[in-house]
Amino acid sequence: MNDISKKPTPVPDDLSRPFWAAAQERRLVVQRCAGCGYYNHPPRVFCDACLAQDLRFEPVSGRGAVYSFTVMHQRDVAGFEQDAPFINIVVELAEQPRLLMVSNLPIAERPKVSIGTAAEVYFEDRGDGVVIPQFRLV
Amino acid sequence: MWQGKGKTAIAGIGYSEITRKPGKPLGLLAVDACRAAIADAGLDPARIDGLATYPESPFAGAGNRDGEDVVSVNWIMNHLALAPDLRWYAQIETGMIASPIIEAVNALIAGACDYVMVWRALHRPRPRASGGVTGHGGPPRAAGDAQFLAPYGASSIVQTHALAWQRYMHRYGATRDALAALALNSRRNANLNPRAFFFKDPMSRDDYFNSRWIAEPLCLFDCDVPVDGCVALIVTTTERARDLSNPPAYIAGYGQNTARRRTLLYYTLDDYMACGTSLANKLWQSAGLGPRDMDAAQLYDGFNPSTLYWLEAAGFCAEGEGAAFVRDGRIALEGELPVNTFGGSLSEGRMHGMGHIAEAVRQVTDRAERRQIPDASAVCAIDGSPMLRGSGIIVTRDP
Repeated sequence: MNDISKKPTPVPDDLSRPFWAAAQERRLVVQRCAGCGYYNHPPRVFCDACLAQDLRFEPVSGRGAVYSFTVMHQRDVAGFEQDAPFINIVVELAEQPRLLMVSNLPIAERPKVSIGTAAEVYFEDRGDGVVIPQFRLV
Repeated sequence: MWQGKGKTAIAGIGYSEITRKPGKPLGLLAVDACRAAIADAGLDPARIDGLATYPESPFAGAGNRDGEDVVSVNWIMNHLALAPDLRWYAQIETGMIASPIIEAVNALIAGACDYVMVWRALHRPRPRASGGVTGHGGPPRAAGDAQFLAPYGASSIVQTHALAWQRYMHRYGATRDALAALALNSRRNANLNPRAFFFKDPMSRDDYFNSRWIAEPLCLFDCDVPVDGCVALIVTTTERARDLSNPPAYIAGYGQNTARRRTLLYYTLDDYMACGTSLANKLWQSAGLGPRDMDAAQLYDGFNPSTLYWLEAAGFCAEGEGAAFVRDGRIALEGELPVNTFGGSLSEGRMHGMGHIAEAVRQVTDRAERRQIPDASAVCAIDGSPMLRGSGIIVTRDP
């Protein structure tokens, strides 16, 4: 998409640093509870399901399905002013119901998108060392 | 049934101007609304000895300067001459605007104070106020939860609601016709409400379907109209209310959304029945009334689909049947269940549920102007989107 340099840059923090570091290596990891096995995303300081604090980042398949989607037409989304209209998909990962991640797609993909469409992760280089997980339709 | 039923009442309503071109800061609009509510009740300001509000900005990242973007309890306490020694206040962080009314009711029944003023002031945020994104010269930076949303251009609340509505249509086979019916109904009612932002602007079915997309499948007229303004109410005990200027609107029941939900990145459609029901069950049980007893329903519509979700979650129709329910004039003023009889947030303006409560009060006290439902005896007002949060009350003509 246009104007990649002006798209918002994720600011890793103590919790999310392993997620973004893995993305640099083209790996998708999600924080998981060592006690109950629940995946927490975005990462938390305690497990949202059982409150345990022993949480570790684990690789996930990167496969899932479109949970929902929307086409954004407003030209007031920071960094995406020139991209509108563009598609956002929310992908439900295969590992757990409602383990959701967001991606953006160009409007040309619109005919292929529907709820339930299979999707898989890829990694987009946004420049200046920023690599973000994205999902494409398969 | 709740022991507090009918023991308190809403006795005064005050509106500031509802406008997109405010001639004064939000704090002064709040002063206008508060003074109007006190005068409407026929009270001396020195009698107001309790204060309550839900002051939050309309969405994360919008401005929150006190007196300009929000109006807190402290701001009103410092800028409006009321009882020389205020006895009680509450400032609510969750729920929505019925929640501070619920707190006021409890305080009045406990004898903590005699006359509570509850207000909701909202500003229209500047266009670029986007959730959690900051930047100074370089690329904008997204921290906190926004780091997982903003790099994908997905940080706006309207997108979240569009995602939920997309799933609703997929699950139940609903179409935009349902949203058109709701939007047109609200506009028709707003055209009878002199305080409404769209009082003088009718809307046709073509206007609705020709309006521009915002976040597809939501169009411009599926979004509430962002305004600057304030609405204030006076709540007091039933005995005191009977000595004031207006017929009391008795508070018959209340409820708040208390369901557990576990969705870290988004609130999703899947929660709307469980969460909405958690509120509605308490609402109906406390009042000893049910959906069939309501002469009208004022249901939150920050984004249009929320009204449809509430019709189902509150039991006005079965799950998945909202789209069929709103057809054929059933929700019109003269219909079986008039909905958002004042125009809703879609057409009166974004008062975050306070307009809904004010209208419920008007309907059960014969003060609803040309929108009056004859002999309306019980009306509910529910705020919030059911899968996210919310609070509600029922007001009645008789205690």
